[in-house]
Amino acid sequence: MPSPEDSLEQVIERAEVTPKDVRSAMWRHIITLQWSWNYERMQALGYMWSMLPIIKKVYPNKDDMIGAMKRHLTFYNTNPQIGSPPIFGATVALESQKMGDAVDSLKIGLMGPFAGIGDTIQGVLVRPMVAVFAAALALAGSWAGPAMMFVLGLIWCALMVPLFYLGYRRGVGLVDEVAGEGVLSKVTEWATIFGMMVVGGFVPSIMSGLTTPLQFHKTVEVAGKATTKTIALQDTLNQILPSLFPVLVVGLAFWMIHKLKLSPIWVLLSLVALAFITGSIGLF
Amino acid sequence: MMASYSIWIALVLGILAYLGIVLNLGPGLWLQEALVVGVITGLIVGNVHLGLTIGATLTLMSLGMWTYGGATMPDFMTGAILGTAVGALGGGETAGLAVAIPASILMTQLDVLGRAVTTVFIHAADKYTERGDIRGVTLMHLLGQLPWGLTRAIPVFIAVWLGAGPIQHIINALPHWFMHGMQVTGTMLPALGFALLLNQMPVKKHWAFLVIGYVLYAYLKLPIIGVALVALAGAALYLKLRGSEARAES
Repeated sequence: MPSPEDSLEQVIERAEVTPKDVRSAMWRHIITLQWSWNYERMQALGYMWSMLPIIKKVYPNKDDMIGAMKRHLTFYNTNPQIGSPPIFGATVALESQKMGDAVDSLKIGLMGPFAGIGDTIQGVLVRPMVAVFAAALALAGSWAGPAMMFVLGLIWCALMVPLFYLGYRRGVGLVDEVAGEGVLSKVTEWATIFGMMVVGGFVPSIMSGLTTPLQFHKTVEVAGKATTKTIALQDTLNQILPSLFPVLVVGLAFWMIHKLKLSPIWVLLSLVALAFITGSIGLF
Repeated sequence: MMASYSIWIALVLGILAYLGIVLNLGPGLWLQEALVVGVITGLIVGNVHLGLTIGATLTLMSLGMWTYGGATMPDFMTGAILGTAVGALGGGETAGLAVAIPASILMTQLDVLGRAVTTVFIHAADKYTERGDIRGVTLMHLLGQLPWGLTRAIPVFIAVWLGAGPIQHIINALPHWFMHGMQVTGTMLPALGFALLLNQMPVKKHWAFLVIGYVLYAYLKLPIIGVALVALAGAALYLKLRGSEARAES
């Protein structure tokens, strides 16, 4: 209840969501979204807590506030860095305009597609490429490797701010923009081709340690004298198919995942077993 | 050479693991990457080079891995901390990997535990919401980080404080064939990351680019940055040609 001293403007102003409230909600979302992630409703509590600065302003009546809080405690899960900021921004805009009823369908409609888009961008297109370069640098003893991974993390984080405001300004219109265009499929194709070629080069480069020490002794006659010549198997292989072993092992692992549908853990254990066997018979 | 670690080193590494996972729950993967956390652990235990190597090997294993939809994956962060800490006691890279790899896999069990225990906090938050108790709700959300952080921090703290010395003794006593097997494992494991990555790519459709990359490096001895530049040009050319082809057809 407003106190009698308050002027009418002050009462109205109190109900208005200020840019400061919006910023506060955004930072809550960026810093803590998944702190209370759980199997039951996943990011729900983090989402609701991030929305509180808005809810408190918009619903001065306690029962209305509780109703709005409950609405945000339903199951929610999406990609936290690329997917959630625009969704959260759009729902902040809706809640600020007291259009809370539209929030549920927006969240449910967008969280699936945005999880797919965000996970693909981060987990398939960008991280593996950066990680493989970073790891190569680190194996060469360079600081630049970990620095690259650290900076990549910072870039994802910095993107969360503009992505939030994108959702906040576009609101519901966001859905059509994501559905249309087809920019993502173009970028995906481009990144795929780039990635395939780089991986083709990285397999022999990163796994260059996988060479065989096996040697053969051959008796040859040089100018009528019998001499024993030592031939290293790896040297012979290098002239035919350099990096044969890395290619074979990657091919084997790919076959186990792609054709046999084995889980990564089983492929890992198989590779460890293969390493011990080939190591003990002297192949490696 | 040290035989074990003081409680303070163990505490610092435990806090590092805690911060790594909790930061990942919010603003993202700065610390949780095996490379980053590996090199920080290396600084703390005084062997930066080992931290780089262990972090790089684990990173290569994880190339195609991502926590899709909140799925559990091997905890390479904890693996990198433990592997670097144990290896720095004298066993080096081989000993470090012998610890890091099983630790990364075993930690998935604790990841599941942490995610399950947090359910308690959202149930409590339901009750506070019913009463409109904003302080209670806030507390429940912010404390939700505890199961996540402690499932990493406690094992790291205990393993580094009490375990590193004994583990190092066991590793010293291991036969040569075992250590050699671990060494071969280290060179072979990046294959897992490559395979997982390729599994997400249309290999059947674009295998030619894979072969080009291989030939550029393995036969033509092009440095990897050179391979990347050719890849950049190749991808641009392919899309441009295909675009004009599509226009000619329509």
